[in-house]
Amino acid sequence: MKARYVASFVLVAALVVVSTAAARTDSPTRASASKITVWLQVDAQTGWPDLVSSTNAAFQKAHPGTTVDVQYQTWPDHLGKFDATLAGGNVPDVIEMGNTEMTKYMAAGAFANLSPDKSSFANSRSWLAGLAASATFNGKLYGVPYYAGSRVVTYRTDLYKKVGAKSPKSLAQFTSIAKKLRAKNGKKSFSPVYIAGTDWYFAMSFVYDYGGSIATFGRGKWHGALTSSKARAGLAAYKRFFDAASHASRTGTEDRPQPYDVYAQGQAASIVGPAWFSCCVGKKYKTVTSQFVMPGHKAGQSMPGFLGGSDLAVPNGSNDKALAKDWIRIFTSTDGEKVLQAKGNIPNATNLLGNSVNERAAKRSWFVPTAKNWVNVENGNVLRTMLARILTGKDSIKEATSAASDNITLTLNRP
Amino acid sequence: MPYWLILPVLATVGAILGYPLYWLFKLSFERYGLFELIQHKGVGVGWANFGSVIHDPVFWHTLARTVIFTAANVGLTMVLGTLIALLLVQVSSVIRVLLTTGLVLVWAMPPVVAVQVWLWMTNFENGVVNYILTKLHVGDYMQHDWYASTFSMLALVTALIVWGAIPFVVVTVYAGLSQVPGELVEAAEIDGARPWRVFKDVTVPILKPIFLILTSLSIIWDFGVFTQPFLLIGQSRIDTSNYVMGTYLYEQGYFFHDFGRGAAISILMLLMVALLSVFYVRKMVRFDEVR
Repeated sequence: MKARYVASFVLVAALVVVSTAAARTDSPTRASASKITVWLQVDAQTGWPDLVSSTNAAFQKAHPGTTVDVQYQTWPDHLGKFDATLAGGNVPDVIEMGNTEMTKYMAAGAFANLSPDKSSFANSRSWLAGLAASATFNGKLYGVPYYAGSRVVTYRTDLYKKVGAKSPKSLAQFTSIAKKLRAKNGKKSFSPVYIAGTDWYFAMSFVYDYGGSIATFGRGKWHGALTSSKARAGLAAYKRFFDAASHASRTGTEDRPQPYDVYAQGQAASIVGPAWFSCCVGKKYKTVTSQFVMPGHKAGQSMPGFLGGSDLAVPNGSNDKALAKDWIRIFTSTDGEKVLQAKGNIPNATNLLGNSVNERAAKRSWFVPTAKNWVNVENGNVLRTMLARILTGKDSIKEATSAASDNITLTLNRP
Repeated sequence: MPYWLILPVLATVGAILGYPLYWLFKLSFERYGLFELIQHKGVGVGWANFGSVIHDPVFWHTLARTVIFTAANVGLTMVLGTLIALLLVQVSSVIRVLLTTGLVLVWAMPPVVAVQVWLWMTNFENGVVNYILTKLHVGDYMQHDWYASTFSMLALVTALIVWGAIPFVVVTVYAGLSQVPGELVEAAEIDGARPWRVFKDVTVPILKPIFLILTSLSIIWDFGVFTQPFLLIGQSRIDTSNYVMGTYLYEQGYFFHDFGRGAAISILMLLMVALLSVFYVRKMVRFDEVR
């Protein structure tokens, strides 16, 4: 009997120890004010770590004794982690946000209003309109444009030469090049232009090229617009181009596998995607790789590309908003943006723009509807599902666009 | 005195289950989105979350899909597991050790790793499954898209789940089989019973409690399964047409930032599983009484 007493006592004791230990690790370890936490995407870690370290050095020179804790995040899970810190109360002082992710968080009041400080950020008068708009909600500024990136075609010059082709000037020309490339390379898995079936960034470019759009705002409400005849014509053109050019999975996504991996394995003559794809085309093809701007259906005009980009925001829960803003000021200074430009990105202001293929592609661009629930359309895979159903022939373009458009209207207007 | 001894258990269960459950219930009656998350304060909305879930056709479609999905998973797991256990009794000890080792290895593999292997095998560009099926002249499976239809997608998930769940069933049923008295089997055989008859009328009745436990546990696990469908289908392919309860709950709660609604869905799921458990516990208690 005594042994049982002892055992139960030990159990209770163990329980107490465990629960207090848990409590100790759970409590937010927010250090004194002399430290700021910065969340950047891993792109900065792999692409421009020198800019991050020089920014930190300059920042520490201006604020002696303050340390900067840069924590690198990945795109798929950084919002989930951010939500957890919002709930727990230990938010970062600076966070990098994708430009399509901003609206929902601005609407919910997650970020500090930067409007009074706007003029203190470099080049703020000539910021890229698209990026600045993605960081603005109800007329107030909640983020500083960081950099942008456009989508271009990366291609094998040797294979194109074999069929006597150069960079095409219209969609029709590009299609006929794809057909010639197809005839020269009989292998089933080879794609003249590798396009993941549900790559909606690319597919929606066709919609915008034909004058359509995803959704429009009017009379205080969002309206799904993919049912318009222009949008449907764009999607029909996308399907025709896909059928002629791509042997990728019709239900696949543009990140699994990475298009540049397919290219590096010699399975594609060209790929579509961000300009930095040229980084990873493989040693074998590095010297025979070049890029051009995706042509539109009207000869001589480029196809509007999705303008991706990032903004830097200061969460409202930050203990040191002044320090956070200072760090952003140094990071997005003209010198900083020039470093980003040298790495193949589009700098955040028009007065810094050069003439790279990336920057030329950005001249005609489109952006997602700036509705606070847009990210739910994205995460709900509404457009991906629609594209998969169109390409596999499960639905006609009419049926698929009707279903998707209704869904978009419903989602965007949800309170 | 004996009641004192269950105190540690009660305290543990209270701390680990009771406290989160209390918050879950509280959350399910609140509007709790991103705005409320930042304010750290929900707004009471009564039964609105439950109402919106119950009036959502997606919920009912998902429930029906999950019931069929669970039935397929549990059925396949039980039948295949039992067959392998019966096989283990028959084979020589060397083979038995080999088979058991293989099963334990399967059991030891974390689901996340298993998903990666599955993804690699069914890869559209160069999946080994496509290659083998083509070489075996089953058909032209080069560049076959296993994720093109909901059925094919969920069938892959089922294959992965059943594969991972079989070892537990085999080991348990095999242990149970050693409890079947040899003289009973012998007597039945002397009376002229064929193997199937012996299995049906001698083995199964003795193993019934084990089958019942295994089936109930499998139902509970498979009904709420999340890791395998979420990772294998992948976030960018998950939509209303391939939801199972686990992924539905996650998407609604976390991806759409509607934590209150997510809580309501999880409580509904909890109720369904609880009902099943009551049935199972009652059966178990009855078995004990019969004995």
